[in-house]
This record gives sequence, C-alpha cells and structure tokens, in this order.
Amino acid sequence: MRRTRSEVAGRAVRTAVRNPGRTLLTMLGLAIGVGAFLAMVSFGTGARSSVMEQFEILGTRVVYVRTNVGRADFPGSARPLTDADVEALLRDSLTIERVVPRVTEVQNVKSVFGRYRTRVSGTMPDFVHIREWPMSIGGMFDDTDVRQRAKVAVIGTTIARELFGQRDPVGQTITVGTNLPLRIIGVLVSKGEQTSGEDMDDIVLMPATTHQAFLGMPVGYHDLILQVRDLGLLETGMVDAASSMRRSHRLADIEADDFRMASPAQAAELARLVSTILAGLLVGIAAVSLLVGGIGVMNIQLVSVAERTQEIGIRAAIGASPNQIMAQFLAEAVVLSFTGSLAGVGLGWLTATLVARAMSWSGTLSLLTMLGAAAFGTSVGVAFGYLPAKRAAQLEPIDALRHE
Amino acid sequence: MSDFSIVEADGIVKEFPNMSSPVLDGVSIDVKPGEIVALMGPSGSGKSTLMNILGCLDGPTRGAYSLGGRDVSTLTARERAWVRLHYIGFVFQSFHLISDHTVLENVTLPLYYAGVDRREREARAMELIERVGLGHRLGHRPTQLSGGEKQRVAIARAVSGEPRLLLADEPTGALDTRTGNEVMELLLELHEARALTLIIVTHDPEVAEYCHRKICLRDGKVVSDGRGHAENA
Repeated sequence: MRRTRSEVAGRAVRTAVRNPGRTLLTMLGLAIGVGAFLAMVSFGTGARSSVMEQFEILGTRVVYVRTNVGRADFPGSARPLTDADVEALLRDSLTIERVVPRVTEVQNVKSVFGRYRTRVSGTMPDFVHIREWPMSIGGMFDDTDVRQRAKVAVIGTTIARELFGQRDPVGQTITVGTNLPLRIIGVLVSKGEQTSGEDMDDIVLMPATTHQAFLGMPVGYHDLILQVRDLGLLETGMVDAASSMRRSHRLADIEADDFRMASPAQAAELARLVSTILAGLLVGIAAVSLLVGGIGVMNIQLVSVAERTQEIGIRAAIGASPNQIMAQFLAEAVVLSFTGSLAGVGLGWLTATLVARAMSWSGTLSLLTMLGAAAFGTSVGVAFGYLPAKRAAQLEPIDALRHE
Repeated sequence: MSDFSIVEADGIVKEFPNMSSPVLDGVSIDVKPGEIVALMGPSGSGKSTLMNILGCLDGPTRGAYSLGGRDVSTLTARERAWVRLHYIGFVFQSFHLISDHTVLENVTLPLYYAGVDRREREARAMELIERVGLGHRLGHRPTQLSGGEKQRVAIARAVSGEPRLLLADEPTGALDTRTGNEVMELLLELHEARALTLIIVTHDPEVAEYCHRKICLRDGKVVSDGRGHAENA
C-alpha cells in the first residue's frame, strides 16, 4: 500500500515535470499566497513586538503621577508634589511597591572636554529599579548619598559621549548650571531612541536632595514614579494612588484631581490591542491571496482534467477505478500545492527577513509558523484540487474515450 | 466444445434518452472460451454499443449479461472497472495510447492499476513488448512510433493484465493492408498462446476471414450468426 502511494506521488511529480509552464504558473499562485501570508504574519508580530519594546523601556509596572503646578491648561491652583505625597502613597496602598519622586530641569552641563544642554533630574536610588535600567559602568547613588546631599551624578551614554568622548567618565567631574560640580559615579546602559525620537540616553541623574539643596525646587517634584507589585494590579494601583493623592492633597469631593496620572502599561495594552487587530487584518488579507492561489490550483486542474479527458477514458477502459483516477489528480494537486507552498515559504521568509532587517526588528518567523504556512497552503491546494479530481473520477468511460 | 460460455448475453436492450428507437433491441449472443468472433454490421447497427456493453464500459438498459459465468449487467461503475481490469482487454482503432507515457509505461498500466509491484510488472511488460517485436522501443513515446507499432503496443497493453476476453474495435481500421494483416497475425498468435477469447468489431471482410464466427447486426438486432471456418477452439 505504501509502495502504491509513493508511486502515485512519483507519477504526479512526473506529470508536473512534463508540463513545466503550467506547473510553474500554478505554483506561482500558491507561492505568492503563502509568501504573502508569512510576510504579513511576520510584519504583524514584528511591528507588535517593536511597539511592546518601546513601552517596556518606560517600565512595565509603572504609573506616573505628574504635577499640574505651573501648567497653563490646569484651571485651578494645584498643590505641588512633595515628600509627604510619597509617604502617603507608600503608607496608604498595599498595591504600590515603590514610589520614586523626580524633579527634572533642562540645564547646561559641562566638563573640561565639552558642554551640552540636557535634562537633569533629581531622584532616588530606586529610579533605576523602577525603570529596569541597569548600569553599564559604576553604580547608582545610594540612600547615604541622598541623606548627605552628595555631589554625585549618574549619566546616560549620550552625555558620556558628548562630554567625555571615548574617555571613562567615572570619577570625572561635570558642572551643572553655573556652579554645581558633580562627580560621576556611574553610566546607565544605553536605551536608544524611542519611536517619538526622544533620546533616552540624554540624561543626568543626581540625588533629589542634592538637586533641592543646590538648584532649588520651586514647583515641587515634577512627577512621582510608582511601581505596582504586579502587572495585574495596575488598575487597582492607579485607583489606590489617585485616592491616596487626593487625601494627601486634601481635595474636597467636588474638586478635580490637581495631578495627572498615566501608565505606559495601559498605553501599551491599547497599542497591543491596536497592533493585534492590525496584524489580524494583514493576515486576513494574506489569507485571501492564499485562497486566490487555491482557486488557481482548481482552475489549472479543471483545465487539466478537460484536456486529458481522453486519457482518463483510456485509463478507465484499462480498468482504473474511479478512486484510482481521483487519487491521480489529487496527487497532482498535492504535488503542485506542496512545492508551491514550499516556494512560498522561501519567498515569505526572504521578505520577512529583509523587512525585519530594514526595520531592525528581531527574528519574527518561527519554524513552526513556516511549517504551518506550508501545511496550510498545501491543504488549501488539495481542498481546491478535490473538485477537479472528483470530476475526473465521475467521467463516463465511453464518453471520455470518444472525447477528442 | 464446452457448454461453458464466457460471454452470455440474453435479450440486451440499450436505449439512450435522446433517441426514439433503442440502439440495441434484444441482442442475444453466446461466446465460448477460445472463440474468435467477428462482430459486423453497417455503421449505426449498434455494434460499438454492443462492444461497450460486452466490455463492461457501459451497462444495458435491459437484458442479462454474464461474463465468465457471473452476472455483470447491474454492476456499479467501480465494480465494472474491476471486471475490466481483471477480465477484459481492449484494442481500439485509434490505438488510444497515453501520449506522455513511454511504450513500457503504457504496457505496464493495467498491472499498475492491479497493484502488481514495479519490478514484476516491468519484467512482464518487457517480455510482452519483446513478444510483439518492439524490444528496441521500450523508452519511446507513441508519437515516435508508426501506426503498426502503436497498435502492437496497444495489443501488448491489452493482454498484459492477462484478460480472458479481448475486445478489438476495428483494430486494423487505421492501418494499411500489410500492417493490418501483421496485426491480425499477432492477435491470432496471442489467442493461440494465451487461450484468449477474441471479439473483433469490424466491417472489413478480410479481417472477418480470420474469425471462427461472424455475427452480423443491423438496426440493433442480430441478423446472422454463423461459423465461417471449420476450425474450432
């Protein structure tokens, strides 16, 4: 039985080889279908994971509470964000694990080698934990530095490059503003540019206390960065934080929040939803092209059955059973759609790889996806090959024989 | 002669939906194993239709037909295919070889459908091809052969499945006289060697001369059934 089956396949391959033009055309339809399908799947997943990466840079379990002080679009008078708010948040809510305040100003920063205008932040040691931001050289300042208002700084790679070139910045001194010298104790790992074009590495961090003592803090903190205990607690954490903030700011029920809250994870969720829908749409469109490829197989096979009607009659007269005749044409559909699908996998892989390289996405097509697409393409071809094969099997031998 | 009939058709009627009178109107014939029968008659007499029914390519509208002792008048398409594969060989006027198959592939086809394994069917087919004098043509395609050669291949194919009944429809109709005679000689040789029963549809009296018996049809009825030669199987 196995031998017979491999022979049926062998004969189908020979028929395909003997009609190269027709075979290539049929294969092309499915190859484009499968290729488009794979390319779309890869674009979808690539774009989505790229979106997700962008959001992960901002921290995953993170909620930002931003001040409304000094904002023209906030009608009332807002209370500044203070250490009291930080304590209240940590005290009131079990869902919030860490709170890191931050004050950020744009300042001139210079070293003996150069100068640069950048964002200078006063914050707490936990900043690097909340933002999941490791150090590449040196270390982050600690609680002692905070208590002592130490004149130390941690910088991003852009600052390191602009102010020190290839030199090791750790141990060097930078001057912030006109007269605040800070000793560099660490350099953050590069996070690169965000999609918005914002350079994440263009950053100088110092203890919040140092900032307050030497540069002042006229509007309080600019934001408080909250970390919830678990990603699933994000919503609860935001509700808890809001009510805690309202109490801390002694807001009456009728008053609006005098602060703003935002969560990259929430935005990420939305972005993921949008990109999932888009990916689904792309795959849907690709599925249509696969369907068109399948119809191509059916079309060619119908033509083939019509052209070979007399041959079918001869085979029937010799004694081929309807099933054997059907098997012959189905086998041809299998051979055509399998080779076409394989070519499509190659095509899709090539497209996906080129696009991924151009967009600097990470590898997006798994072996399983490619095998799945090949299997799917083959089954589409075979499904569409069924009708012509059935038609061949149902021909009346005498009518088929007389057919010229 | 034995009492056993290989072909036993009784009152075969064949009607087609779009025709007013039946193409076969009560045909009864009886063929013994090893007989060579010529089926004759003018065009439109129904001899091709009768051959299709005798060859299990088609079923009768009414009437009984048994082949080798078994009733085959009411078989399904699939069962008829099985009977054709194992009991019947066909030779056609226009050869009906499969054009993109080689001589060897054409001759092995019945064995392929019967599930004989490749080595054995090729051995058997090659022996037959030698026998019909085309051993040097194994890998050729039908288009590379002359008419007489094509018919020899077709005959080799028709007998490769070792049928008991060979039906030939104007086997010499597309050939010149000399080649036609060679083909008839070949059929007689095979008949001799393999104890084949031969039914030859023809309107060529010369072909009919080779046969033991002539059955004449006219307007769907048998008008004469007689033995031309003394020799019997």
